[in-house]
Amino acid sequence: MKKPRLGFFKYSCCAGCEFQFMYFQKFIIETLSSFDVIFAKMLKRGGNPHGPFDIALVEGTITESWQADELKRIREQSKQLFAIGACAINGGVPAIKATMPELEAEKKVYKDISAIHSIRPHSLDAYVKVDGYIRGCPPGERDLYEALSSLLTGKKPDFLEYSVCIECKLKGNICVLVAYDMPCMGPVTNAGCGALCPSMNRACYSCFGPMKQANGPALAKKFKMMGLSKDDIVRKFTEFGADTIEFRRAIEAYED
Amino acid sequence: MKINVDYVARVEGEGSVKFEIKDGNLKYLKLNIWEPPRFFEGFLVGRKYDEVPDIVSRICGICPVSHMTTSICALEKAMGFTPSPEIKKIRDIMALSQIAASHLVHVYALVLPDYHKVDMLIGLDEEIKRLVRLKEAINNVTAVFGGRALHPVSMVAGGFTKIPSKDEIGQMIKRLEGVKKDALETVKMASALRYPDLMSDAEYVALSGKDVYAVNEGKIISDSGIETEVSDYYSYFQEEEVAYANAKKTILKGRAPVMVGALARLSIKFDKLHPEAKKAADIIGFKKSVKNPFFNIIAQSIEIVHCIWRCIDLLEEVSPLDSLSPVKPREGSGAAMTEAPRGLLYHEYKVNRLGIVENANIVTPTAYNFLSLEENLKKLVNENIDKPPEELSLLCEMLVRAYDPCFSCSVH
Repeated sequence: MKKPRLGFFKYSCCAGCEFQFMYFQKFIIETLSSFDVIFAKMLKRGGNPHGPFDIALVEGTITESWQADELKRIREQSKQLFAIGACAINGGVPAIKATMPELEAEKKVYKDISAIHSIRPHSLDAYVKVDGYIRGCPPGERDLYEALSSLLTGKKPDFLEYSVCIECKLKGNICVLVAYDMPCMGPVTNAGCGALCPSMNRACYSCFGPMKQANGPALAKKFKMMGLSKDDIVRKFTEFGADTIEFRRAIEAYED
Repeated sequence: MKINVDYVARVEGEGSVKFEIKDGNLKYLKLNIWEPPRFFEGFLVGRKYDEVPDIVSRICGICPVSHMTTSICALEKAMGFTPSPEIKKIRDIMALSQIAASHLVHVYALVLPDYHKVDMLIGLDEEIKRLVRLKEAINNVTAVFGGRALHPVSMVAGGFTKIPSKDEIGQMIKRLEGVKKDALETVKMASALRYPDLMSDAEYVALSGKDVYAVNEGKIISDSGIETEVSDYYSYFQEEEVAYANAKKTILKGRAPVMVGALARLSIKFDKLHPEAKKAADIIGFKKSVKNPFFNIIAQSIEIVHCIWRCIDLLEEVSPLDSLSPVKPREGSGAAMTEAPRGLLYHEYKVNRLGIVENANIVTPTAYNFLSLEENLKKLVNENIDKPPEELSLLCEMLVRAYDPCFSCSVH
């Protein structure tokens, strides 16, 4: 069997996804010998960024216009393009910048912003068609394996499409939201972490981003009843996913 | 002749090296760190203290623990909270496990291919297997304490939301014991590589504690006589914007370029290394004050030994009863400096009475190393100016990699 030609691309992010993909797991040899690595900066010198690729894995938020241009070119050269990690899927942490005037954030960091070319942070699918979403910050192991094995076997990946709450129930966790009044984002957050934070005695902070069709407004109202201020609620819904419809709705619902 | 290394491969983040040679002379050389800025210090303003560690963790996918710990220490200082010795011990365990994990990836996956004359790690199966064994045992420590090894979740202002059981700690120690041989083998391997010659003029700077090999607190010490407290940071350090790079250069005012990281640490606090690490260094004949920056790789391998043995010692001591104390938000400012895997990391915050951030400043190891790396690149090119362009570019890349830069961190 011919090995799938793989390209790994990084935009604005911590590089943790590429790290997780290549070096973090015990299957380094298996992963690296299953794919023909055509381009991956953190892994290989002298790669070919132009493709063509059977699969392009893309991490990071789009925050500069050249990235959007390059992304479109990669899309054209790739049979499949998967977004990997919160930044690429929902804007992740870099999208917090979108909650304030852009210039304000930029001027706090640089005295001379004449050489700064940032645009409003967006997820990949604001620019191109995305074939698969390997969610999480960092990507959950279960979904990562599902993605890689599906790409190798040619099947459609079966990603987790339910909330962190389900994972808590499966683990038999006591609900930290109901029992301990912790402002847990679990009800609106996509699964994949194995209900990590509630299992570690803390509230979920939504690093896997919003679950599709999540009812953000209902959770925002619950937080309000618990005594959280509007600012606190806005912060909850903008740490991961400031760029998403699900979480924007939650913030708008506060005034109702 | 213009030489342009468009992107330096096998490093974290995006950077390029550009230089021109004319009539046998180096005209200019620039290390262009074009990693796009994410403006952490900008958007942290307005965020609450309890979400800061989770946010800054995302500055770096390789050293999230360092960013979390440093921000927590700075915020605790700002809000007048003093952590217990037991909590500090667990923070040290987290730091040591992450330093070892980061060094492992650097030594094996980022650096080693150069010395085997290949583009990537594939094919070096024995080395990969050793890397995986070591990394699994080390990551297990970070992951069990932190919830996961990459972007852990248990570290908060006030302590840890959960602490492993005695049983789990026993398992960690057992697994670490099982890779001691691999760690020593790593030192042997690193010392056997043939590094290019280069003499650096950089001033080594590191944190130093009284009796221990400091990781999370200590005085700022340099090998040319600086000895100061973190609170006096701005009397010595100065941040400068660079026209051709998104990263800033942080310099020691009026002094030589700075090098931080494993090599600097060994030069300054070699005596405080774990005896086993000292022994490993003696066996390969590693001298305390090495000035060749390529030897950073050997220094890292020695630190891997230190981290594993020291982790075992700390794990045997640890007996956490109250792992989490409440932190009450109050108005204040605080700064902290730690040793990230790649060297000094500085975080500073001003918060209001609700614990909302009003000002944030973060300076990462690669910002300190920026100037000396650039100066040493110039030196390297000058000393090898007759070599063909292909060889020169590779040499430059190898030096950049030896510094183990994190461009994602340096811009943030």
